[in-house]
Amino acid sequence: MRRSKPLAALAGAALLTLAACGGSGDSGGDSEVKGDFEQAASGFAKDPEAQGPAPEVPGATEGGTLTVYAQGDPGPNSLDPTEGWSVLGNSIQQAYMNRSLTQYMRDPDTGQFLLVPDLATDLGRPNSDFTEWTFTLRDGVKWEDGKPVTPEELAFGIQRSLDSDTFPAGPGTEYSKTYFLDADTYKGPYTDKGVDYQGITVDGNDITIKMSKPFPDMDWWGSFMAMGPAPLGKVSDPPAYGKHPLSTGPYKIESFRSSEELVMVKNDQWDPATDPARHQYADKVVIKFNQDPNKTDQVMLSGNTDAQTGISIGINSANYQKFQDTVGDRLVKQSAQCTNYTTPDYTKITDINIRKAIAYAIPYEDVWTVGGEIPGVTRVPANTLMPPGMAGRKDFYVDGEQITYNPDKAKQLLADAGVTGQYKLTNVYYEPDPLARDTQKVMVEGMKAAGFDLTGIPVEVSPYDIWLNPDDKTNKKLNLRGVNWCSDWPSGLTMLPPIAKTGAAYNTAQFSEKAVDDKMESITTLPLDEQPGAWGDLDEEISTQYFPIIPTAYRNEMLVYGEKVGAFYGDPAFGAPYYKDLFVKQ
Amino acid sequence: MSIPEKIETLQSEDLHEGPRDKKSRKDKKKSRAQSQSIEGKSPLRIAMGRLVRDKLAMVCLFIVLVFVLIAIFAGVIANFFNVSTASVLPSQYIDAFNGGLPKTGPPLHGYDPEHPFGLAPHTADDNLAYWLYGCRTSLTIATISTVAATLIGVVVGLISGYGSGGLDRTISFITDFFLTIPFLLAALSLAPILNERFADNPAQYHTIKYWSLILILTFFGWMGTARLIRGEVLSLREREFIQSAQVIGMPTWRILSKELLPNLVAPIVISASLMLPAFVTAEAGLAFLGIGVDGASWGQTINKATDYFQLYPLYLWEPLLGIVLLVVALNLLGDAIRDALDPKTRR
Repeated sequence: MRRSKPLAALAGAALLTLAACGGSGDSGGDSEVKGDFEQAASGFAKDPEAQGPAPEVPGATEGGTLTVYAQGDPGPNSLDPTEGWSVLGNSIQQAYMNRSLTQYMRDPDTGQFLLVPDLATDLGRPNSDFTEWTFTLRDGVKWEDGKPVTPEELAFGIQRSLDSDTFPAGPGTEYSKTYFLDADTYKGPYTDKGVDYQGITVDGNDITIKMSKPFPDMDWWGSFMAMGPAPLGKVSDPPAYGKHPLSTGPYKIESFRSSEELVMVKNDQWDPATDPARHQYADKVVIKFNQDPNKTDQVMLSGNTDAQTGISIGINSANYQKFQDTVGDRLVKQSAQCTNYTTPDYTKITDINIRKAIAYAIPYEDVWTVGGEIPGVTRVPANTLMPPGMAGRKDFYVDGEQITYNPDKAKQLLADAGVTGQYKLTNVYYEPDPLARDTQKVMVEGMKAAGFDLTGIPVEVSPYDIWLNPDDKTNKKLNLRGVNWCSDWPSGLTMLPPIAKTGAAYNTAQFSEKAVDDKMESITTLPLDEQPGAWGDLDEEISTQYFPIIPTAYRNEMLVYGEKVGAFYGDPAFGAPYYKDLFVKQ
Repeated sequence: MSIPEKIETLQSEDLHEGPRDKKSRKDKKKSRAQSQSIEGKSPLRIAMGRLVRDKLAMVCLFIVLVFVLIAIFAGVIANFFNVSTASVLPSQYIDAFNGGLPKTGPPLHGYDPEHPFGLAPHTADDNLAYWLYGCRTSLTIATISTVAATLIGVVVGLISGYGSGGLDRTISFITDFFLTIPFLLAALSLAPILNERFADNPAQYHTIKYWSLILILTFFGWMGTARLIRGEVLSLREREFIQSAQVIGMPTWRILSKELLPNLVAPIVISASLMLPAFVTAEAGLAFLGIGVDGASWGQTINKATDYFQLYPLYLWEPLLGIVLLVVALNLLGDAIRDALDPKTRR
């Protein structure tokens, strides 16, 4: 899942958001460290037995309006569940409106996050080699218009995720298209109109999904809203359905204006007895997209009536100290299973020593500082491709210790690689953002001292538009790119193949090694309990043998909530607020 | 330069029609005495005399001169204070836990002699160096644009006013057409076009951005002057001295340059002196909107500093005071020049 936040974070994306020394304490001597990086808890447990209704939140009261301010994030253009693949859109829609086969839940006793059933009665029943999964639809689930959700509609919704021509940016392109039966020939219900798809069969309330190869992570994939129902017939035709998808959850859309505002009100057709995790406390939930960080910060700091029932996703780091003094514990640092990477082009920079020299030439802490991040709090140095909290992650250091900015070492490595003079690098940066421009200046300065001559091409579009387009003429000139990637569920499957498999969309390093591709292929066929470890081993193998992708930082997100917001927790699955328990104190 | 006929007109206007003269007998006597002392002086010299006696104008002129000197000797001054615009690795100077504010100097610590204007938050750029070079950027762009726009305006105005009929109508149409193009919209849309076309060669791109800004300002600045000059020429060309020049067969270019132009010095100087501050503001405004030159620019500093208006007000005040002082001084000076050259409009 890519984290998109065009304003502030593009600075990050553009500049690759780097890492620095410091971790949580030993940064730079005289500065007193006033914050810590929140380490992610490792892994998620599963509870196939969880049943509705969800346990009451202690002290919860009904009524009131919750307002969520999304700083500098325009949110999804379309609310079509099949299309959703962003942190902001999925975290909100899945909590409030669009139910799917499975879901995440915060265990009120332990505070741990669990994978629990949602529309299905359990977490699915696979056959012995994970090529066939059966889910049973619960009774009593209704659309917002009062009609019952039928198994056929659930099957149809899942089938939609195979239509990668209609939903090119949907997560189905990565998972349904890779694992579902005949996904390479069947183009989905809109592109292949009237063609009968054999991969999903309905028998009573049972839905069986057949796979073309073993897919042990189907229960995790089921937590995406793309694995939920869609009404049959014209009603759900894209793109119109994306303006107002029918809700199955506790809230439904009152109004939606793309990039501006989403207003949700209670859905009286939702039956708590069918839902193991969601609640329906607030009367209304308002999501405000694309908010000016300074404005929102002032609102949240003021503590006025708007702020009391408000939640802000992100803060301007200039106000970090003020927030700590003013709101105290209501400033939440949420770990996210995300890593920022800098990716030297594997086809152009073929010497591993040069790639390592680049890693030593990035002035991590300076780049964070200038980009408005707080070293040791919102960014910490990364040492592995898989972020902390992922099952099977191995904590290793490529060179025996954390790579930090070390110009002498970089020069030494360049000399070892037989480079004389300055080594030329070319990257892009997002010109309209002053943070990105400043960051680029610091990168150039830092890399110059380490023997690299970095040229930045200013672009007026998101750097992703350049990096992901193989035909772009600017892209062809680059030999240094970046990507920020977040896991879709805590398995290496959602982290390593999307960035390191030959030809994968977000493989901006253009890394391609047959041995690694084969390994990825074979890991999915291993026994279930060996897979996490195997991903961890593969992470180490890729980094130590090839070092194609430089992990620069693990991220923390800053969340703030008002005094009248109850049961606010961070959601480690998304690195976003956990919306399902929220209520307004009366 | 020879300015036939005009001298007497101006003098007599000044003596008999100037509002000042009607005030009292005393004034009249005074101005009569004055009239004796200015006999034989050109109208420009008379105007200069008036300007020099205007105290406000002299103060403004002094301020403008100081800014001009700063712009010219920005490098020398920066060296004297031992500051530069070179990027630094900021983490050693910046306290990231404290809103990215600098570890030395304002706003949290006392005066730092190494950085008299303080350091910028996050980037740790030296504010003084950026201020000095920002002044240079501002004045260079405004001056070049003013000169260019005035040149175009005068030439177009002369041709249009003197060459009547179809030529005049065509040129007037073009002038009006340029006036209808919304300046801000055109400037904003040009930035991505330039980027698309030239960004792949960053070194060249920065030069192109610099000159295209001057081009934009020039393109949208000449119409006022052109219309003003055209109007003046229309009234002048029916005067006897022009007609007699035509009768004795003087070539057109000579009539334009030797007979008409010298009589247009006043409106040209006035429009140029008022255009200059307008361009200074326009440059800063465009830089604030994110289009404009790379590197030091007051507008860009203001853009970044607005985030810090509470935490670090000095960072915002420095470029702001620079622009306000320069623009106010230039405007008042322009007004004073107009008053001196055209006493009829004196307040």
